[in-house]
Amino acid sequence: MSRYGRTGQLVRLNLRRDRFRILMWILILAALMASVAWKFEGIYGTPTEINAIKGTLASPGIVAMFGAFSFSGKVTTAEIFANEMLLFMGLIQVVMNLALSVHATRAEEDLGITELVRAHAVGTLAPLSAAAIELVLVNGLLGLLYGAGLTAANMPGATTQGNWLIGIGLAATGLLFGMLGLITAQVADHSSSATGLAYTLFGLSYLARMVTDVQHPKLTWWSPLGWVEKLAPYNDPTWQPVWLSLGLAFILLAIAFWANSHRDLGAGAITTRPGRKQASVFLRGPISLIWRRQRNVLIGWLVGIIIFGAAYGTVFNTIGDILKTNPTMQQVFGATMVHEANHSILVSFTALLAVVMAAVSVIPGMQLILKLHTDETRGWLEALYARPLSRTRLLFSYVGTAFVTSTLAYMGGLAGIVVMGDASLTHIKDGISASEFWQAVAAQLPEIWVFLALSVLLVGCWPRLKSLSWAYLALGFVSVYMGSLLKLPGWVKNLTPAGWMPRVPIHDVNWTTFSWMIGLALALVLIGWFGYRRRDLHMS
Amino acid sequence: MTTNPVLQITHLQKKFGHFQALKDITFDVHPGEVFGFIGPNGAGKSTTIRVLLGIIRASGGSASIFGQNVWHDSVKIHQRLAYVPGDVYLWPNLTGGEIIDLLLKMNGTAHSEKTDELIKRFGLDPTKKARTYSKGNRQKVALIAAFSQDADFYIFDEPTSGLDPLNERIFQEAVLDLKARGKAVLLSSHILSEVERMCDRIGIIREGQIIETGSLAEMRHLTRTMITVTLGDDFDVTTLAGVHGVTAGHQPQEWQFAVEDAQLKAVMATLAQHEIVALQSTPPTLEDLFMHYYTGKE
Repeated sequence: MSRYGRTGQLVRLNLRRDRFRILMWILILAALMASVAWKFEGIYGTPTEINAIKGTLASPGIVAMFGAFSFSGKVTTAEIFANEMLLFMGLIQVVMNLALSVHATRAEEDLGITELVRAHAVGTLAPLSAAAIELVLVNGLLGLLYGAGLTAANMPGATTQGNWLIGIGLAATGLLFGMLGLITAQVADHSSSATGLAYTLFGLSYLARMVTDVQHPKLTWWSPLGWVEKLAPYNDPTWQPVWLSLGLAFILLAIAFWANSHRDLGAGAITTRPGRKQASVFLRGPISLIWRRQRNVLIGWLVGIIIFGAAYGTVFNTIGDILKTNPTMQQVFGATMVHEANHSILVSFTALLAVVMAAVSVIPGMQLILKLHTDETRGWLEALYARPLSRTRLLFSYVGTAFVTSTLAYMGGLAGIVVMGDASLTHIKDGISASEFWQAVAAQLPEIWVFLALSVLLVGCWPRLKSLSWAYLALGFVSVYMGSLLKLPGWVKNLTPAGWMPRVPIHDVNWTTFSWMIGLALALVLIGWFGYRRRDLHMS
Repeated sequence: MTTNPVLQITHLQKKFGHFQALKDITFDVHPGEVFGFIGPNGAGKSTTIRVLLGIIRASGGSASIFGQNVWHDSVKIHQRLAYVPGDVYLWPNLTGGEIIDLLLKMNGTAHSEKTDELIKRFGLDPTKKARTYSKGNRQKVALIAAFSQDADFYIFDEPTSGLDPLNERIFQEAVLDLKARGKAVLLSSHILSEVERMCDRIGIIREGQIIETGSLAEMRHLTRTMITVTLGDDFDVTTLAGVHGVTAGHQPQEWQFAVEDAQLKAVMATLAQHEIVALQSTPPTLEDLFMHYYTGKE
């Protein structure tokens, strides 16, 4: 029996196990790509529309979020499409790959399934090869669907080569990060740690591409995530990023195989160390238990989001100084006008990023609230419920920690942008003032709380539907992230709380909206609480 | 029994959608008593216990612990209750020692000398992360936390399924100690020899219904005694009334059969007239009783 024996059977088993996941991901991603391409001529079809958006795409906020792209000659609809969609689709595909790769390897090992499989006549490296083949198949199929979908959409300016370059390029990027997930699954000794490690590396490559895009787009070649921007499918098709991604993916896979054959089943390079013999005096109730269990994750989120914000802040001096691009302006308009113009650029940049920060800040809080149900089904709460501990106290321990975490994460991220940004300016008055900062805080917190409150409602009353909270957050994120670029109608943006508040600090906070959003969040939490006290708990 | 029962369950029912998990559960547990709760997988043992803990809500009947309603007063009840679940799930990144202390603190007690002694007796390494514990070690964590708690009512749901025989013995000693101190214990178990050795009274559950409660001695009366006899003449035992499953033994004139308790006297009198050479009687074990109730055969 070779070391890869029965890989084929395991691949079939994996595909069967993950069929719903894979189907959902492929359907959503392919439909998103194809439907946007299909509609795109209606959005940016005329030269006037194209010229207008061309200016927007060159603005620093958009470059920070979507990447820096170069245009040459007459810009076509397809080129605008590639600029707006490539990095965005790449990000979602990376998330999919990290989820699938860790799920197929370390998570199975945690559950003891790999042990069961390996006890049969199966090669030692077969489970890992099966996971790698699964990723190749999923990414390959997505690439095919992208290529075919773009060809069918037939945007003005699209070329066959460009269409397939997008498909194959995104598949290669996805695969690269999938292989990264396979390595972290070998390094860490349980799945949450593997996922955390993979996301840290993903975040670093995102930050690297963001900072370089704004300052020196050439340096973006150093970030694997930046390669996807370099495809330039419709104006200057470049296949080099594809070879780079595939080559690096292959190297990463080889490292994963090497690591897998040099370790024991269930062990990782980073091992779980022995800990305290007795609990510290602080560990005494549900809140301190949550903190003890989740502190690494929570601190990681807070620190990560502050760094994320600060990285955005470093570009303030590049974008908030019109004189750098247009030195004659001061003579024409006078210093006051120039500073006002600088300020208004920074304000709109911050307003755009505040929306993204808010959506990202919801994630750790939402995870905590949904964890209340995960812990319930995993039986971890059974021991707690046998104690003199009411459901109310338990629920609000999770919910309270979640609200505080998301609130702090948002404020930290925004503070990161503003403090770092203002510090980088030579003329500090151009920057964001304290009152503008607090306005921006007040504007997004109700949105964050409504998202969290919805999760409380679901966990309290209909826990089976809890994944809807992610779908709803994703909808909110896409509608505000892509909304104005895709010219989505107003009602789409108003589907989720992300679109209910006007952009602050460009506009003022609407205190009526603020009040009823807070009221809504409160009502949802109360209904969820009422449901949670009455329903049966689901034990495994 | 003059004391008030610690646990009182009357006609308890539980429906999950259309599935009636518990049809009719009725039994009491008194102070100083170990009550054995036995039945096959899926009969409703764990469901009953979860109703008692207030984790799920009964659809009919009533259950009270210390005279208080198990659903509405669960927090009050749990101050005097200790519980060890059948499948112990522990927070993977905490150590066993931390979990024991946390569970104790949440009951308002603290890590004591008794806790240290239990950790030593069960042979648990409290510095290991729960992720790395085997099933038996996870059970030890829950058992140590339960035994070092000074509760009045202890619920154990198949607590020894992952323990080795040495630790099983330590568990049994600890339960007998609780009994001696006048505590009430509800022990749900598959290990019938354990129940037979420790329990004062037994409740047998089948398909959501309690089909028999009582002491082992009382239950034995409901079944048959196995007799092996060697006679001095060639009397044909099959002609006797009230005997079942008669088989010829290994030697000539040796017989094996089961006899109902009510017929025992008459059968013995008849056999005595046929020169008994050797006689051996075996009372039914709990396992025989169990099989009797579940398969309808002896």
